[in-house]
Amino acid sequence: MALTVDKASKSFPGVRALKDASLELKPGEVHALMGENGAGKSTLIKIITGVHRPDGGRLLLDGTEISLNSPRDAIRLGISAVHQERNLIPRFSVAENILLENLPRRAGLVDYARANAEAKKYLEMIGLVVDTRTEVRHLSVAQMQMVEIAKALSHEAKVLLLDEPTASLTGEEAEALFALIKRLKAEGAAILFVSHKLEEVLAISDRVTVLRDGETTLIGEPIANMSRGRLIEAMIGRAERIAVVRPPKPATGAIKLEAKGVATAAGHRDISFTVRRGEILGLYGLVGAGRTELARALVGKDKVTGGSLSIDGKPAVIRSVEEALKRHRVGYLSEDRKYEGVVLLHPIRFNVAMTIWDRLAKVLGFQTAAGERKAAEPFARQLEIRTPSLEQAVGNLSGGNQQKVSLAKWLAAKVDLLVIDEPTVGIDIKTKAYIHELIGKLADDGLAILLISSELPEMVALADRILVMHEFRLVDGFDNDRSYEAMSRKVMGAIHRHADEAVAAE
Amino acid sequence: MDPAPRRTISSFLLRGSAQVGLFLILVVLWAVFANLAPGFLSKFNLNSLLRSVAVDIVVGFAQMVVLATGGMNLSVGAIGVCAVMFSGYLMQVLGLPIPVAIAGTLALGAFLGWLNGFAIVKTGVNSFVVTLASASLFSGGMLILTKAVPLNGLPPEFGAFGKSAVGPAFGSIPAIPSLAVVALAIGLGLYLLFKHSTLGRQILAVGANARAAEMSGIPVDRTIVFVHALSGALAAAAALMLTSRLAAAMPAVAGDDWLLPSFLAPVIGGTALSGGIVSVVGTILGALLVSTIRSGLLVLEIGNFWLPLFLGAFLLAAILIERGRAAYVAREQARRAL
Amino acid sequence: MRSFFRLQWSGILVGIIAGGIALALSAPAFLSEFNLFVLLRSICVSLLVAYSQMVMLGVGQMNLSVGALGGLVAVVTGGLMDALGVPTLPAIMIGVAAGGAAGFVNGWLTVKTGINGFIVTLATASAFAGINLGITKAVPFYNLPADFVAFGNGRLGLFPLLLIVPLLVTVVLALFFSRAVPGRHMLAVGGNAPAAQLSGVSVPRAIISAHVLSGLLAAVAGILAVAQLGSAQPTIGSDWLVISFAAPIIGGASLAGGAISIVGTLLAVVLIGLIQNAMVLVKVDPYWVQFLLGALILAAVWFNRYRAVRVGES
Repeated sequence: MALTVDKASKSFPGVRALKDASLELKPGEVHALMGENGAGKSTLIKIITGVHRPDGGRLLLDGTEISLNSPRDAIRLGISAVHQERNLIPRFSVAENILLENLPRRAGLVDYARANAEAKKYLEMIGLVVDTRTEVRHLSVAQMQMVEIAKALSHEAKVLLLDEPTASLTGEEAEALFALIKRLKAEGAAILFVSHKLEEVLAISDRVTVLRDGETTLIGEPIANMSRGRLIEAMIGRAERIAVVRPPKPATGAIKLEAKGVATAAGHRDISFTVRRGEILGLYGLVGAGRTELARALVGKDKVTGGSLSIDGKPAVIRSVEEALKRHRVGYLSEDRKYEGVVLLHPIRFNVAMTIWDRLAKVLGFQTAAGERKAAEPFARQLEIRTPSLEQAVGNLSGGNQQKVSLAKWLAAKVDLLVIDEPTVGIDIKTKAYIHELIGKLADDGLAILLISSELPEMVALADRILVMHEFRLVDGFDNDRSYEAMSRKVMGAIHRHADEAVAAE
Repeated sequence: MDPAPRRTISSFLLRGSAQVGLFLILVVLWAVFANLAPGFLSKFNLNSLLRSVAVDIVVGFAQMVVLATGGMNLSVGAIGVCAVMFSGYLMQVLGLPIPVAIAGTLALGAFLGWLNGFAIVKTGVNSFVVTLASASLFSGGMLILTKAVPLNGLPPEFGAFGKSAVGPAFGSIPAIPSLAVVALAIGLGLYLLFKHSTLGRQILAVGANARAAEMSGIPVDRTIVFVHALSGALAAAAALMLTSRLAAAMPAVAGDDWLLPSFLAPVIGGTALSGGIVSVVGTILGALLVSTIRSGLLVLEIGNFWLPLFLGAFLLAAILIERGRAAYVAREQARRAL
Repeated sequence: MRSFFRLQWSGILVGIIAGGIALALSAPAFLSEFNLFVLLRSICVSLLVAYSQMVMLGVGQMNLSVGALGGLVAVVTGGLMDALGVPTLPAIMIGVAAGGAAGFVNGWLTVKTGINGFIVTLATASAFAGINLGITKAVPFYNLPADFVAFGNGRLGLFPLLLIVPLLVTVVLALFFSRAVPGRHMLAVGGNAPAAQLSGVSVPRAIISAHVLSGLLAAVAGILAVAQLGSAQPTIGSDWLVISFAAPIIGGASLAGGAISIVGTLLAVVLIGLIQNAMVLVKVDPYWVQFLLGALILAAVWFNRYRAVRVGES
């Protein structure tokens, strides 16, 4: 089936998410949908799957106009999606999750024997070996992802939407997924593949549609005509800017934090490193390597169970984030901005002042909005937070500005060590470059920074030294010579070597 | 907590806080009741209305402070009855001076609330379940100890306070009952807490997003324990006011009866069940609204029996109107933004 | 054996057996036919009340109006029989239908207004109680058909006739939640509403159905209470709130939704009935029941947490 979106528009309170966006999806093709975060990809997908109704424009299936009032309508017409969020019922079995809206029944009751048999068919189709009676909450993330794909297949989908399907998969798992996509394509399915990974898109897609600020800047361009550069230009409206490179500098500042043989409740063993003032120490690893968990242990959120930490040369035990901040001047810029970074409901000045209320209060904890504004103002200006007023609720700001608020909070707190976790995820390219520049400047001003990132280019551009984490251990460390090719070879080499050793040991 | 910039009267009404609308509804209701039933504005009726609303306001506060953190306290009434009987015990049986008995009662309320908070933080169990259980524990324990026998021999000064008033009366407008002054004083204290103190801000941060608050170095557990202790102390304060108004310590006066009013006043007044937003003024107006409806229906002789039906309907209507207004404001802003 | 203790309700069953043995040894009257009849009859209404709330927890919501709704149905049914002279069966059917309708109002308001179900049912609880009092002026209906009252007090040996209803309901509910598509959809919505919606399950329909079912169960509970008491008291339902939450929660239901246990709820009600019975038999202050119920809820949630951690579920 061919699916056409013709000039769809959609507004939400305060935002116009889509403006006359068009898309044309043909049977037997893999069609990539690209765009930066906030460009309108999710909205477009939600319109195609019946979650949102467009304010304007048409949806056509094989040339006939259709109207979708719910996801159920979409599924019935053969349009199925594998969404980014985990969309399974944790306490239901694999089989029941796959067949949820169409459970086989006998005499009005669910026929579980048949459900298991049927579900098994779909699992075999995608090559997932798991008992269909297992409750999905006991599966791994990758297995859950596969179950979701099996679920989409069970809808006999002619149009299949995959929203960032490889985000939580390992390389091998992603390869298996691509093989499956190719097979489905050969069987005549129309596949919309949403991804922000350029390499993936170039490798697997036939055509590409690009969204920018809610408008389609490329509609169904054959991928053969595309290059990395042209794609980026379509996405951001100009050529890719090379991230600022900090000149390599030997770390000479005083040691802020030293970890010796640290073990954690999360599973880290024998973690040793030092971070100096004025240094950016990079912590690289694949998803699930244990980087964020280490950061959480360092700031007192998770338990350190062995080894020793010392801060400013003195042995330190950090039991809570409060202690990390107030006693040791250590802060953590979370990767999970919306849930851990900012309080969306409250104004900017409230968010920035959150870490310094103690300091702002003069008598008996007395606070005023004016006092908070005065304290937050310089940081809002320094970070160029774009807003009419510091009274604006953070929930009304763009992702990039929210991240700046989250960062401002730590600058206001005047911490000496800032653990920065994935600082540019989901942020537009312009703000991203700005934040890179800023991190470099902060280090130059004497801040010790532990930078966690899954983006190797970001790491190479910023870090003075790169530590490599694999399966909750530090497996190697390299001085950064700012050459992407060399560093990437070293870092990936370390990870693969370690993975191979683990396999050999078994 | 932060009023948006207001310029004209129309934008004031449109974009003003929920409390403005509530105030207008209140004014209209007073006008209607005063017209339909002249007895509504009688000195006697106004006096009894203000004395009863004073207790409802503080009961609403007891729930409001917990709602601020996104939790609930179903044991407000149970702590209330425990405090009622304890105050009676301290004054009548032990014969302690009134100020000491008041301090002791408030301390008991704070302690019972602290137990709630402690159990919630230590077990990680939802505040709804914990306070549902503790409500049973507290009122059961109180009944076992007191055998549900009321204490009628309180010091006369204590009962006299409940009937006293402050300031001169003007014609049909009575002097302000002392109990109402107490409620307003507590309200002022809470207003300062939420508007102007570190602790109040921490409570609002925890209520809006506990994870972000914790990751910003705010002691989330301590904050939650604190609001529960505060809620207990406020419930005890309401209990003392009620005991003073009735001039007797009776075990059957609070309990389940406080459940609805404790939620009505803050929720009508714009406090969010999901946490992070409170309105002290709104809670006062919410309690006033409930009492006005109750009192108005009484003087209109519509009958006490139908009262709960009107309260329930009014609660829903108030929330719906507020939703409608908020949605309208959001649409207007969106239109202007495009 | 190990797998038995992994079951959520194993602890409750052990408690019932141990309590039963202890009671039989210390109070011989416990095992008398009449006492067992009284015990069994006392759990009939509680069980339906507990199911009424359990259904809501299953879909991830709460119903604070269970008691008010049951009380309203009780006086409506009693009023039809007494004041209007409607025969037993039609009166019961109208009563049950009224309960379903009231549940529909709860569900419809929750879905259509988007207001938190907690607040909606808190408000409708007040409204139902107001209608109840408005109809009765707080005066019970006493003149009920003889067959109806006889059913409420009749017994076969130690088994009260009344018990037939909750047993039947138990079987139907067990089948409904394990094998019927609407039941599975309710649990799916309770377990992960956005996921259920994206899978094509109608979330509003599941929520409204759950409210209707909850209303029907509360209605049946109210009617059974009338049969048991022999009169339609306007106060029926006013003390149901705690037990309605206590039993499903002790039985292992999670407030987060999607996880309920019918066997657990059943056993929890039996355990609570046993405690009440024990208080009477050993002549302890009846106020202890309330106290112990609170302690039991806390103990149960704490135990469930502990077990979940041990089994590695959390």
